[in-house]
Amino acid sequence: MTPSLWREHILPFSLVLGLLAAATLSGDYLLHRLDLVWVGRYLGIPGTILIIASFTYSLRKRKYIASGNPKTLLAFHEFTAWLGSLLVLIHAGIHFNAILPWLATIAMSVNVVSGMVGKILLERSRQHVLGQRIDFEQRGLTKAEVAQAVFWDATTLDAMTQWRKVHIPIFIVFAVLAIGHLVSIFLFWGWQ
Amino acid sequence: MSKLLKVILALNLIVITALVFIYPHLMVGPGKLIPGHKQLESDCFACHKSLTGADSARCVNCHKPADIGRLSSVGLPIIKPLTSVPFHQKLASQDCLACHSDHAGVKRFRQQGHFNHSLLQKMTLEQCQSCHKSPTDALHRQISGNCSQCHNQNKWKPATFNHIKYFELDRDHSPSCVTCHAGNDYKRYTCYGCHEHTPENIRREHIEEGIRSFSNCVECHRSADEPEESGKDGKRKKERDDD
Repeated sequence: MTPSLWREHILPFSLVLGLLAAATLSGDYLLHRLDLVWVGRYLGIPGTILIIASFTYSLRKRKYIASGNPKTLLAFHEFTAWLGSLLVLIHAGIHFNAILPWLATIAMSVNVVSGMVGKILLERSRQHVLGQRIDFEQRGLTKAEVAQAVFWDATTLDAMTQWRKVHIPIFIVFAVLAIGHLVSIFLFWGWQ
Repeated sequence: MSKLLKVILALNLIVITALVFIYPHLMVGPGKLIPGHKQLESDCFACHKSLTGADSARCVNCHKPADIGRLSSVGLPIIKPLTSVPFHQKLASQDCLACHSDHAGVKRFRQQGHFNHSLLQKMTLEQCQSCHKSPTDALHRQISGNCSQCHNQNKWKPATFNHIKYFELDRDHSPSCVTCHAGNDYKRYTCYGCHEHTPENIRREHIEEGIRSFSNCVECHRSADEPEESGKDGKRKKERDDD
């Protein structure tokens, strides 16, 4: 991988992901500092609602609903899924109690990362590798030499193109685990 | 999504679902139960009622309110009770969850070890000494009952009673409480507990000044330095002038 692909694409992606982690830790810290830890218990509710709302784009994309500008809905999908995930992560805190909700949290996190790969990295990386190929070709390199020069970038790009193969199945896993968590809460929790 | 992937996903989710039913305490339970309830950890419905949470009615199946603090749930005498006086028998309602939580993950969010007096029956609420021992300091040794005049039921301190608001206890007026408050009844007082103030003496002095109503001394005399003060809205002064 060339330094520029790392610096120009992977690093910004890492920063956006890091922002989610930093916001989670800050939120959790503030709740503890302000003695409002109990609030965290209920952040799972708005978080879940936001994540369900983000699903509107997926329904529109697969034509289950006919109205709505796909581009706007995509932006809405990205925003609500990110914010919903943040609230769910704060809700999870660093308390390890039951396995099922933690599996759901891990699945959600993988889902968020795969979504970010699709959104932030893929198109920019594709443009980057294409630009490199043209640049090497203009310098007079043969096809084999160009292929060798962009080998690691192209391999990384190939790996990233698999994001959708992860994003959808892991979403199903997340959905099932989250539903299991919700059912257990409704079944055993005393809403008082 | 390939068929193989779908099958793998479905199998994984089936295994997880099975684990939820086999090991509910690990898969969905919010932390360990208290040691005394360890044998109940995989039987959620021993304490929980579907859709409404932990149920006090199920607690009292094992913990009879009449025995709490006296006998264990298996009927053996409790040698070292957690509280000096059994009080569960005097609670207004059997809402166990108002004070108790069990799972470690739930305890984290709830205040522990804080007794709420408002849960007691009204009659018990007024009988502090049925649970609490009176302090043995010089002041409290003189007092029995009526704790709520100075103390509230959230905290022992601060005690908010300010005597100056009623009468200033200065160098000449620093007797024991019972001198003025006979029978430790702090809602009433008398100034005749002191040899200096006899009813006849007081009556004569006030009549001489033309004051006919003098039964409530502190209405005019808020301290020993106020020999003659007008009462509320100058009432006393006006009565005297009219005479």
